[in-house]
Amino acid sequence: MGYEYFPGTSILHRLDPRTKFLIFIMIVVLTVSIADPLGILGLLILTAILYRVAGIPGSKLRKMIISLLPVFALFIFLNWFVVPPKGAHLLFTIGSLPITIETTMVGVTGGLRFLLFICVARLLTMTTSIAELLVALVKLRVPKEAATALGIGFSSVAILIDKINTVREAQVSRGAKVDVRNPFKKLFALIPIIVPAIYLTILRGMDVAKALEARAFTYNPAGRTMRKHIRLTRLDYLVLAIWIAFTAAIAFLRFRCGWFDYMFTIGRFL
Amino acid sequence: MPGRGEAGKDPDAVIELKNISYRYPGTDFYALKNVSLRVRRGEVLLITGPTGAGKTTLCYILNGLVPHFFGGTFEGEARVLGYNVPETPVGFLATRVGMVFSDPLSQLVSATVEDEVAFGLENLGLPEEDISKRVKRALEYVGLYNLRSRPPYTLSGGEQQAVALASILAMEPEIYVLDEPTANLDPLGTLRILDLLKKLSREKGKTIVVVEHKLEEMAEIADRMIVMNEGRVIAEGSPREILTRRAEHLHSLGLEAAHIPLLVQRLAGKGIIKSPGSIPLTLSEGVRFFDELLSSGELSIGGRAWEPNGGSEAGGEPIIVVEDLVHVYPGGTMALKGVSMKVYRGDFLAIIGQNGSGKTTLVKHFNGLLKPTRGRVRVFGMDVEETPTSELVKRVGYIFQDPDRQLFTRRVRDELAFGPKNIGVPPGEIEERIRDVSRKLRIEHLLDREPYSLGKGEKQRIAIASILVMNPEVIILDEPTTGQDPRNRREIMDTMKMLHREGKTIVFITHDMNLVAEYASRCIVMSDGRILLQGTPREVFSEVEVLRTTRLKPPTITSLFMELSKRHPIKEVILTLDEAVSLFEGGGR
Repeated sequence: MGYEYFPGTSILHRLDPRTKFLIFIMIVVLTVSIADPLGILGLLILTAILYRVAGIPGSKLRKMIISLLPVFALFIFLNWFVVPPKGAHLLFTIGSLPITIETTMVGVTGGLRFLLFICVARLLTMTTSIAELLVALVKLRVPKEAATALGIGFSSVAILIDKINTVREAQVSRGAKVDVRNPFKKLFALIPIIVPAIYLTILRGMDVAKALEARAFTYNPAGRTMRKHIRLTRLDYLVLAIWIAFTAAIAFLRFRCGWFDYMFTIGRFL
Repeated sequence: MPGRGEAGKDPDAVIELKNISYRYPGTDFYALKNVSLRVRRGEVLLITGPTGAGKTTLCYILNGLVPHFFGGTFEGEARVLGYNVPETPVGFLATRVGMVFSDPLSQLVSATVEDEVAFGLENLGLPEEDISKRVKRALEYVGLYNLRSRPPYTLSGGEQQAVALASILAMEPEIYVLDEPTANLDPLGTLRILDLLKKLSREKGKTIVVVEHKLEEMAEIADRMIVMNEGRVIAEGSPREILTRRAEHLHSLGLEAAHIPLLVQRLAGKGIIKSPGSIPLTLSEGVRFFDELLSSGELSIGGRAWEPNGGSEAGGEPIIVVEDLVHVYPGGTMALKGVSMKVYRGDFLAIIGQNGSGKTTLVKHFNGLLKPTRGRVRVFGMDVEETPTSELVKRVGYIFQDPDRQLFTRRVRDELAFGPKNIGVPPGEIEERIRDVSRKLRIEHLLDREPYSLGKGEKQRIAIASILVMNPEVIILDEPTTGQDPRNRREIMDTMKMLHREGKTIVFITHDMNLVAEYASRCIVMSDGRILLQGTPREVFSEVEVLRTTRLKPPTITSLFMELSKRHPIKEVILTLDEAVSLFEGGGR
């Protein structure tokens, strides 16, 4: 719930969170520069392997991907309304709307990118404890108060989810129909849940603020002790080196040899 | 850092409040009115009083949350450990005054138990080795070292509160302030915290200020006690003196006065016994006191204590039938392990047991909030597995503990109309029902108010009303009284009694054995996902040994007469004060 951390001792767990941040950012850059769905699929498979390495059960990843499929479909659907480039190959038509291979492929690529972002981000949080994450933030010059606030936010999620569940049950007990399909009706149906949820969140905020004061949080914020330590080890440098080489190679193929343009893939079929 | 000002005349005083009056911002009344208080180093002070008495506000002054955090108008002089409170930041006072709040989860902010206890120490900027040592020591002190890597929200309420206490202990403050630390806990959690308080109070030099309603239990811990009402201190003295001499007074304030002194005072008031020189307070004192009176013949047992038909099995037909019910939550926890029971029309059924024993899981099947994993639940002949919840809620109303988790409209009137509208009651009739119910619950004057702006007791009544307007035949109350003061508890239960008389069937979950004794016609005891005992409260409370296995205790009055019955001809199981009085009156009620 909320922040899901899988304790473990895999390479991914042992890496400095900063290394993981850096790799995450490089993957984002890579995915944006690659337009070939097969290329992104390749990265996605690589990510799946990393889940394996981290010891996270495959069912987790599967569930995550299945829950994201509607968004994936939405990407493809929305791209059909984009005006196709000149000389695009017609796939079929819906009414007067021409569906081309090119627009579909852009949609598939966008959807895959989205899947990849989420999977990689979740992998990062699943292999990094909140405490490590916060220390990393502080090392990256985020103020200690802000980092602590973020940590409290993460640990409040589970509590709030529990409270909101009771809200739902209380309203269902009053005959509220919250499981309607129509998205517009759904919005109205959810008001009886959203309003108390907001109120409870504000109350939680007040409570936490009181508790923080009572535990001397404002005593000397700059002088707070940070118990967790993170250190770049040889492992980090090694992984970073490999990853940078990998990224450079992909960039070279992309910009010098024209690989991973989405025509690269489609070209095989046309 | 602020310097210590001139200390008062008493060099031992660690807390000195002089003529404090305080108003929260945005309110037009004083939460505290001219309060003066002095607490000496090493003293254990008990504060009690009804809701709105100003107890919590008083606590907040001790670490400066009032006035620094809340703002408002502060008059008078407050010194804590010599520091002038209005001039000293909370962050500084908090290093010397540790505070435990009543809702355990509201004060826990970290991802694990260990981090939680370390949090305050990190704020103090202590070196890491010291932090580790102190965390270990504090967690061992409260007996939770083995749970150190668990997230706090996965612990039981009692354990959570113990973590809150440990995180204060670790900071080694000079003054401990605990604001109703057991109000939200089950009996087991309460025992845990009271035991810890006892342990802490025995250690020299610790000044402890505790707000509590559990006066019988606190009497042996506290050195001194004050009673507050409507922002004033109205009584002060040793707990024994106040609990024995002023039992009736406490009772009239709506507080949970100790029952044995109350009984003695009532008997003396009726002239049944002479006013005694010293009034017994504890169970063992009570047993000795009455044993002597009965043996010497000064007191004799009269007729029946209760009407023969009172509190017997309900005679109606079964309306909820549970057969071999098993419930497994998605995480794999088996909360019910084969439960069979019935709710009869006209029942006033109490379900008791420690948290996690399956009480709430069981009753959530009654209106379809949960579906059976195995077994069957039939409600008015409908199988809950096949019947949509929207059908079941027309006949079974479920009232939750925390009204803040359901109120959502701008006006109380709309709040009440929500349920009936959902189940298709015609608008004209909705109006009528709102009028009826609001008269019954005395909330007519609130109909056009904003629900969120109301007080705790009022909100709870709105939440109850919002179910009653749906006109269900069965009403379920899931710990409606937890966190409420004794007077509010009684008001809620009296409302239920009235509805029961009108023909409603009531099922309530509670941790308050006195409420079970006083209101229930039947009682089910749950333990570890199973039904341990069921029967009338008389039958259930006489099973002392079985109850002990799940750490539940019968009401003090019941225990007193069970002890006495070993040597004197008392055949009945006595449940309430009134029954006890009429036992000696000889005439029956």
